Amino acid sequence: MANSVRKQFAQTMLEVGQQDPHLVVLLGDISHFALQPFAQACPGRFYNVGICEPTIVGMAAGLAKAGFHVVVHTIAPFLIERSFEQIKLDFCYQKLGGNLITVGSAFDYGNLGCTHHCYNDAALIKTLPGAQCVYPSSAVEFDVLFRQTYNNDQLTVFRLPAYEHECRFDRQTIQFGRGIKVSEGENMTIVVTGPQLKNTLDAREALADMGWDVEIIYIHTLIPLDVKLIRESVKKTRQVLTLEEHVFSGGLGADVLNAVKDIANVQVSSLCIPNEFIRDYGSYQDHCQRLGLSKEGIIQRVKNEFKLFHRQNT
Amino acid sequence: MVVKTNQGNPVTKAVFSFCSWLFLDLMLNYPLKEDGIVMHEEFRKKIVQMVYDSRDGHIPSAFSIIDMVAILYEDFLKFNANDPQWEGRDYFFLSKGHGCLGLYVVLNKHGFISDEELKGFCTSGGILGEHPDSTLVAGVEACTGSLGHGLPIAVGMALGLKIRTKSNNVYVLIGDGECHEGTIWEAAHVARNLQLGNLCVIVDWNKSGAQLMPMDDLPAKWEAFGWNTIVIDGHSKQEIMAALGQAKTSKTDRPMAIIANTVKGKGVAMLEGHGRWHHRIPTEEELHQIMEALS
Repeated sequence: MANSVRKQFAQTMLEVGQQDPHLVVLLGDISHFALQPFAQACPGRFYNVGICEPTIVGMAAGLAKAGFHVVVHTIAPFLIERSFEQIKLDFCYQKLGGNLITVGSAFDYGNLGCTHHCYNDAALIKTLPGAQCVYPSSAVEFDVLFRQTYNNDQLTVFRLPAYEHECRFDRQTIQFGRGIKVSEGENMTIVVTGPQLKNTLDAREALADMGWDVEIIYIHTLIPLDVKLIRESVKKTRQVLTLEEHVFSGGLGADVLNAVKDIANVQVSSLCIPNEFIRDYGSYQDHCQRLGLSKEGIIQRVKNEFKLFHRQNT
Repeated sequence: MVVKTNQGNPVTKAVFSFCSWLFLDLMLNYPLKEDGIVMHEEFRKKIVQMVYDSRDGHIPSAFSIIDMVAILYEDFLKFNANDPQWEGRDYFFLSKGHGCLGLYVVLNKHGFISDEELKGFCTSGGILGEHPDSTLVAGVEACTGSLGHGLPIAVGMALGLKIRTKSNNVYVLIGDGECHEGTIWEAAHVARNLQLGNLCVIVDWNKSGAQLMPMDDLPAKWEAFGWNTIVIDGHSKQEIMAALGQAKTSKTDRPMAIIANTVKGKGVAMLEGHGRWHHRIPTEEELHQIMEALS
């Protein structure tokens, strides 16, 4: 399902903005019309500043210093990569809180090429002490996670995907910093983030027919990562596949590998974006298929790299 | 003082009338030196001693701004050293962070920084480095040093004050070399469009930038961005006072740019201009020469 997270973003801004007079939204010329309900309900707190992302981030830090809870919203490469020094110095080093809400991470803008791709954003943010990063891939996740964090005096990046995973979570199951065990399993763990949860659920059914009993750990909060939940699962299954629309370095795969490195006899594999520039065009779905980020890709990776056995045999 | 303005309305006339009065008042109350230059010798001596003792620091960059920073704190900024986060304060952002020695000695005079902390400049355990750190130093509003950061932060602060309908003023001091940074002009564009009349930028026009980019008509550039633009001698107390007075009392929705003609290393002939003194530490003999020149 496309764009429902982005619609929820506009709705959440409207609702939170009406309750909290300190919420200010700055745009980099995107989502202007979607946010008009907020603009009209919260006059003087909505600014479509212009196409000048580093300055918008610096301004946001100034607004945070003035006591506001600021949201900056624009396209991921311009907000995270171009403005990285402002995020680092103006927000994180100065210990100011704020919210950077991106669209167009990974290859969501598939046909727009390298200038509009961004598959190392979580890795960059991870290098900044105190920064947080969430990847809410359903509308309810964004709404809950934003309300839980937007005013906690930390810099939080919300990576809004173009597509939902279509798995429905109750609000009370969504807790910042906590993963969600979507399914119990005995001989395989898949740790997945983002819309790839949909492919993972589809693959689980097919894998079950082949004898695999897959435990799925869904991660909406990339930073800080729920290491405890992941370790508990991997200690049981001893086999873990990570799945993400991000490069390995600094991504979920690297973090999980680090999290389980002291657990004996564990097989780890990562299905992610390779560390090379994407030079192809095509839709989001085209890119996923080409990179193996698909139901078929998951099944193939599990069959190729993991051994089918039952827990009592370990 | 050369005044360039985009205005021709009654508010402008009132502002100019006030400035004329202020100028006359200053002539009576602030006697000039023979050369018409105000010299904050004690501040300059402290700066040189700090650099000599710590074996680090930018003397000429601090000397080119010290007169403006000193007067701003002495006569214009609202602040409370006992409560540095006082909400009623005016905000001063030193965007040109490498001029921080000029800020440190002024903050020391006004009670934000102790003598002991000043002596700890660039030492392990000290709070004062070669760029100002708002997480360590009371009275410092932002961590600057990477050029082009202070002005956008100040624009955000000015916008925040405007949203809250507060009357606090926001001042930013930037370097002319810093005007090579794209964020300066992004922020200049945004500030005009957001009608931030509570924002005043002081450009330390010591011609560092012109060494690399000789087409250096900064007044025309700021004016083209729609700012009320004034050109002054940045070492003249009268002109600094008049310009800051105009900025403080301005009722327009345009931000103000004070383009201050300054001299790098101003006050000691051997330090003035561009070249080896940018980051040079004086020898003992040079220290004596500099101190003598300042006495």
